[in-house]
Amino acid sequence: MIDYIALSIGHGVLAIALLRLVMRDGLDVDPLLDGLRQAALERRKARVDARRAKRRGARDTKPADPQTQAES
Amino acid sequence: MLGFVFLAFIGFVLLLGLRRPYLWVLLYVYIDILAPQRIGFGVIQSLQVSLVAFAAAFGGWLLLDRKQGVTFSFRQALLLVFFAYCFWTTGHADFPAEAGTKWNWVWKALLFAIFLPFTLTTRARIEALGLTMVLAIGTIVIGTGMKVTLGGGGYGNLKFFVNDNSGIYESSTLATVAIALTPLIWWFTRYGTIYRPHWAVTAFAIALIFACLMVPIGTEARTGLLCIAALAVLLLRYTRRRLLFIVGAGVLGLAALPFLPQSYYDRMATIAAPGGDESASTRMAVWEWTLEYVAQNPAGGGFDAYRGNSFTYQMPVREGTGNSTSVEYRKVTDEGRAFHSSLFEVLGEQGYPGFIMWALLHLTGLWQMERVRARWGKRDRAGDNGEDEAWIAPMATALQLATCVYLVGALFQGIAYQPVMLMIIGLQIGLNSYCKRIESAREQDALDSYSGPRGRIKAKRGKADGPADAVTA
Repeated sequence: MIDYIALSIGHGVLAIALLRLVMRDGLDVDPLLDGLRQAALERRKARVDARRAKRRGARDTKPADPQTQAES
Repeated sequence: MLGFVFLAFIGFVLLLGLRRPYLWVLLYVYIDILAPQRIGFGVIQSLQVSLVAFAAAFGGWLLLDRKQGVTFSFRQALLLVFFAYCFWTTGHADFPAEAGTKWNWVWKALLFAIFLPFTLTTRARIEALGLTMVLAIGTIVIGTGMKVTLGGGGYGNLKFFVNDNSGIYESSTLATVAIALTPLIWWFTRYGTIYRPHWAVTAFAIALIFACLMVPIGTEARTGLLCIAALAVLLLRYTRRRLLFIVGAGVLGLAALPFLPQSYYDRMATIAAPGGDESASTRMAVWEWTLEYVAQNPAGGGFDAYRGNSFTYQMPVREGTGNSTSVEYRKVTDEGRAFHSSLFEVLGEQGYPGFIMWALLHLTGLWQMERVRARWGKRDRAGDNGEDEAWIAPMATALQLATCVYLVGALFQGIAYQPVMLMIIGLQIGLNSYCKRIESAREQDALDSYSGPRGRIKAKRGKADGPADAVTA
């Protein structure tokens, strides 16, 4: 009788745990590592955008080349 | 009937695994520990459920898993070399047939320990493995604890689900493993996410730890008592209120004394006087024999090499009538006496090379967990860890304690290749790799934040000066 009770408790708790795991997204993809990766990607993208904007801004403010002006 | 219930449970997990193949790894862990095919009757005994679960676990990982961040660590390589070496010694064993029988289960346990860290790529998986191990052992322990509490037990009298005195169903082995897992059980009350911290979880954990403590008492396993004592001493290192802990443990121990049977006192008394007990006396003789044997056979004699031993020694036998007790020293001859110690088991079977590998495997585990504990505990105290990382240092502590308790138990019993402890090694490797991946992601991000090669050099210099900056950046 005691063996049956012990087996029921152990298997019951394990079955519920497994059901919860099946429904959990974090089982196959770690939220923390995924978050770090996403954040790093976003930061990298932001840096690239900022660098491009800076370059574009520098080109716009640069005075026109005198030679090209003479040709035109 | 019971066999069908087990089959239904296994079928249920196999079905769940179709959605999450990692569950097949957990299924193998459950089958390997609890051995339902040995508990149930009928069809389940004729089915190779363990093989099916392993094939599903390995196949599922190979074909369906993302395998993101999978690495092959030094300890896995060490396990692989140890595996190959054990295979070689089996081929050159003193007792080939017996060595082959032991090799049949040892290779599976070693191979699974090598494979396990590949699957442990997320926190949920690490936790799920720990929980499955705790609950599989817990199922045996709950029954044992209930029997002992209700008055059952005694040396060699306590009945488990399986009564062939092998594997985890050997009383001293169960006592050691149960005590070794208690810190991990407590971890779930604070940091569990499958079962979130709740009074019901704490109550279950307390009851389970109590049942674990009942195992050495019910089985009267002396090793179990030593493991409890070792765990109590080790816990002092992690306890903030040490004096309160010592007083509490003392009061608890004293309160338990009146409930212990006389047979328990008699059995424990042989720890201090090993000469009066055959089991203890022969250990000394076997250990001496092993040292002589390995001096002549440095590469070891393969599994079950102890079968070649034979020795005669004097043992005191007490006989009492009325008030007088006479002690007579009798000559006892023993043949094929088991090693009764994992250290001597590995030394005799695998020689010096195998022993060095085995010892290194456990010592690196202790060191690795100490490093993780120190590093992530420091971050925790500095407030750098979020909720997502606060669990890491306590998990490392629990796994480190598990190894310590196991090593204490292993001093007095031949459990060098115990599958549960090899799974603990797999869990340690998985946790360490997971921590490295977090650190690596942060360091990479810190490196990227510097633009151009000059920036990268600066970042590397910064890392060399103070790694914490790079990590927290």
